[in-house]
Amino acid sequence: MTQPHPQPNPQHHDTQWPRWEVFKQDAPGRPHQAVGTVHAGDPQHALLTARNVFVRRPAAVSLWAVREDDLLTATPEELTLNPAVLNTPGEGGTYHVGVKRTNKRSMTFVDLSGTVQATSPGDALRQAQVMHPDVLAWMVFPESAVIRTDDDPGTVDSWFAPAKDKTYKQQSSYGVIGRHVGELKRSGLMPRQVNEEPHVGDHKVYDHPHDTGKVKP
Amino acid sequence: MTATTTTLTPTQTQTLLLKLTVLADDEIILAHRGGEWTGHAPILEEDIALANIAQDELGHAGLYLTLAQSLGGSDPDRVAFWRGPDDYLNARLVELPKGDWALTMLRQFLYDTYEALWLEAATRSTYAPLAEVAAKAVREEKFHLQHTALWAERLALGTSESTRRIQTALDELWPYAAQLFQPIDGEAELTGVGILPDLSAVHARWHDLVTRHLHDKCGLILPANAEAGAGRDTHTEHLAPLLLEMQSVARDYPDAQDW
Repeated sequence: MTQPHPQPNPQHHDTQWPRWEVFKQDAPGRPHQAVGTVHAGDPQHALLTARNVFVRRPAAVSLWAVREDDLLTATPEELTLNPAVLNTPGEGGTYHVGVKRTNKRSMTFVDLSGTVQATSPGDALRQAQVMHPDVLAWMVFPESAVIRTDDDPGTVDSWFAPAKDKTYKQQSSYGVIGRHVGELKRSGLMPRQVNEEPHVGDHKVYDHPHDTGKVKP
Repeated sequence: MTATTTTLTPTQTQTLLLKLTVLADDEIILAHRGGEWTGHAPILEEDIALANIAQDELGHAGLYLTLAQSLGGSDPDRVAFWRGPDDYLNARLVELPKGDWALTMLRQFLYDTYEALWLEAATRSTYAPLAEVAAKAVREEKFHLQHTALWAERLALGTSESTRRIQTALDELWPYAAQLFQPIDGEAELTGVGILPDLSAVHARWHDLVTRHLHDKCGLILPANAEAGAGRDTHTEHLAPLLLEMQSVARDYPDAQDW
């Protein structure tokens, strides 16, 4: 890098494909959870890449993708600084409401908590704020923006079932060079883990389908 | 499952063992070509996706070779890493260099269609262990097929450059695909007793599906049908360097116990 602060080029167009938020459902009856994003050229492509990126290993039964432009999110601080976000215009109809309750989590960031009838994205956000006053962030998006995997047996069988048979090595089964991180923590040389919910590695315990063990990929 | 375990004659066992090796070799070599994109695919998401597909194909090879081992074959790692180009029995289609993204996706599409159809037929094998392997692998193959069919369509109907690239790839790969449907010696006997799928029936279904997708839906021009050409013991100059790289770690550390 010869230029530490390159000037924005007005001729430059973003060549990235659109970004899609991915929501994963671990088991029937559980809420869909935001797990991250993918870039993809179109809705079907978004679902296919989401399946590869987010559900090759852990168990899942359904994926949703929502284009970034269709999401409205806010933190309490953002609402204080810019209350006008509650006036964000758009289509009326059914909106999904998601909330982020904690920073002490990896892999999943926002839980969908249900739907509301709203006159606009801003109205949906206002209702989310009333229903869930004490959270770290809200997310709303219209039902009409959701792209879903099919729930027919063929899709479940080819998209989600194979992951249940897959096994992998836990981080802990690999050797380490130098001192193990656990040793550093015990001797007070490193902060304690912030992951306080039950996890094995990066996986929440309840969705972790396999026993820890020595297995080949 | 309606499949029952057929008792194999010694001749049938030898033929099946060879067929399983052929199937595994196609998967191993194609998986390596797919793996060559790791860190080099057009976007991160597709990098991960192709690595997943490659790893699945390698998993299928593991299933075939484990079954072969139960029939008297060698340890799967020995088979994969200690045979040279003269002993590999993969089709020439899968050993061609990875080319551009269009060639990679189109090859994977042609292969996935074949494999999904073959496996689907193999789930009805009268030899139960093969039917079980096929039932396991076919699920992943159907997913691969959706992914690669999507790419073939997007490239064919994309820009003039993407159309040109995928048509060029089709022109290059089409003659090689015929070899996938060439039975091995003795295969007819196993097909006759329902142990192996009928390759000519798989070929007909493959031709129909591929035509409907690439020609009818994507508007590509299918080249004239080609003969399968020389047998599976004949390779292009591309296989030897591939094996040299693929087998280098195993051969440098022959005593390694754990990976």
